[in-house]
Amino acid sequence: MTKKTKNNLIRGIGYLILTVGCLCVLLPLSWMVITSLKSMTDITMTKGIELFPTGPTLENFVNIWKDYPIATYIKNSVVAVGGSTIFGVVCAALCGYGLSRYSFKGKAFILSFLLVTQMFPAVMKIIPYYKILVTVHLNNTRIGLLIVYASFSIPFCTWMMYGYFKSIPTGLDEAARVDGSSAFHTFLHIVLPLAVPGLVATVIYAFLQNWNEYMFASVLMSDDAKKTITYAISTMADAYRIQWNYLMCAAMISSVPTLAIFVAMQKYLIAGMTAGAVKE
Amino acid sequence: MDETMRKRARLKTRLTPYGFILPACLTILLLVVYPILYGIYISFFDTNLVNRWNFVGLRYYLQALTDTSFLHSLWMTVIFTVSVVAGHFILGFIFASILNMDIRLRTIFRGILILPWLFPDVVIAYLFKWILNTQGGIVNELLMHFGLISDPIGWLSTSATAFPCVILVSIWKGYPLVMVQILAGIQTISTDMYEAAEIDGATMMQKFRYITIPALKPILTTILILDTVWVFKQFTLIWLMTSGGPGSSTMVSAIEIYKNAFSYFKYGLASAQSVYILVICYLIGVVFRRLLRDD
Repeated sequence: MTKKTKNNLIRGIGYLILTVGCLCVLLPLSWMVITSLKSMTDITMTKGIELFPTGPTLENFVNIWKDYPIATYIKNSVVAVGGSTIFGVVCAALCGYGLSRYSFKGKAFILSFLLVTQMFPAVMKIIPYYKILVTVHLNNTRIGLLIVYASFSIPFCTWMMYGYFKSIPTGLDEAARVDGSSAFHTFLHIVLPLAVPGLVATVIYAFLQNWNEYMFASVLMSDDAKKTITYAISTMADAYRIQWNYLMCAAMISSVPTLAIFVAMQKYLIAGMTAGAVKE
Repeated sequence: MDETMRKRARLKTRLTPYGFILPACLTILLLVVYPILYGIYISFFDTNLVNRWNFVGLRYYLQALTDTSFLHSLWMTVIFTVSVVAGHFILGFIFASILNMDIRLRTIFRGILILPWLFPDVVIAYLFKWILNTQGGIVNELLMHFGLISDPIGWLSTSATAFPCVILVSIWKGYPLVMVQILAGIQTISTDMYEAAEIDGATMMQKFRYITIPALKPILTTILILDTVWVFKQFTLIWLMTSGGPGSSTMVSAIEIYKNAFSYFKYGLASAQSVYILVICYLIGVVFRRLLRDD
């Protein structure tokens, strides 16, 4: 076998594997889309196999909007998750920069502790959070959830930002300092602009993680008017009879923001992760 | 005068790094460290968290060690974690290696393969619950249509199939993050190395074994530790798909503990069990780092 045919063979197998992989991803997801376009009779009445809706309808999307306060749920999610992403990434960028540029007492401890925080079981934190939030009257508030979510994303985001800052040469900092720039000014105006890919990857990560969060929202936001969209979906299914077409509709609506953010920012993601996946 | 000013300037430089890390560390201290300490505190009490606080010492820790359902849940968690993490890394490696080759439509393939990561756990859990449903679930409908089965199978309500299904869904949901990290890592390896190896007549496997793996080792160590502890603590997918059932066939520790706390209100016991999970996760981290240390 010549080298060229061998390479072509390998590439062919590669395409085959990718195609199979993509099908495994797309088939379940397309079933969600198809179900959301079906009417209830389509789902319950059909005997035997009926892949496509008899008359595709968007009325589920209209009805669900009428039956549930979807807009409120989305607003709750956006406020809590958006706020926590901003708050968390600002803290993480500052901390990551400090860790990457200075050596000081306790630095090694902080770096390893950031990893250790990922090991704390969520169930263990949920009882204290509940007590803390009740004590400061922040249970069932978006601010309360915002703060809790920020504390989830800070450790790993700091880790990512630390990795990215480390990949940026320190020569610029030195030059800026010689020119009389303050430490904070150097960070904000000189190094941070170079770290945009890392920053974007961190934002995506933090947003995804918290938008997808379920357990804490379910315990801390019991009030119907304060539910996040992901938690609200699970309560729709708790009803007496599951209306799968409604549920898949709500599922699609709740996935739009993360998909949109990803599509808008995806070119940064791989580049930002490159340095984000750091060594110790 | 000069002396004090210089001193002040020196103090300021010394404090600068702390200024940068302060907001993050303060938040972590308040919202990560304090809750954990509080959780450990609870584990020593028989409590309803309101007015009953009876100190019981290590009783719950001893109780957990002989509690068969807790030990069973730990064993389930180990099986779950090993299978899911292995799945993540096998798929992650295969897809990342192919995506790194010179292929057409790379962005499209990559975009599709990342999709499962972008959907909330809740969505994925209900989607697969619907797909595997006994009434109208597409898997059963298709199997029956082609005459492979005569009656619908309760994939998630039969103990033999529930656990494998949950594992497969967890692999499906979680491999993209590993894939993206590995892909990012592979792209930092200089192509010169591969070209040099090719001139020396190295095979694909040799290149993988002696160039790719060593270069990726630092990234792999971190992501392996993180993925393992994340999967070890997985709650949402399993909870929403099976709630640990049928029986206890998908009862991993996270669900066992959650039920102890919020269904049976045994807060002290649940906290003691959580402390065990914390210790196990920590040990996993230590062991992996030892094993994969480059020396």
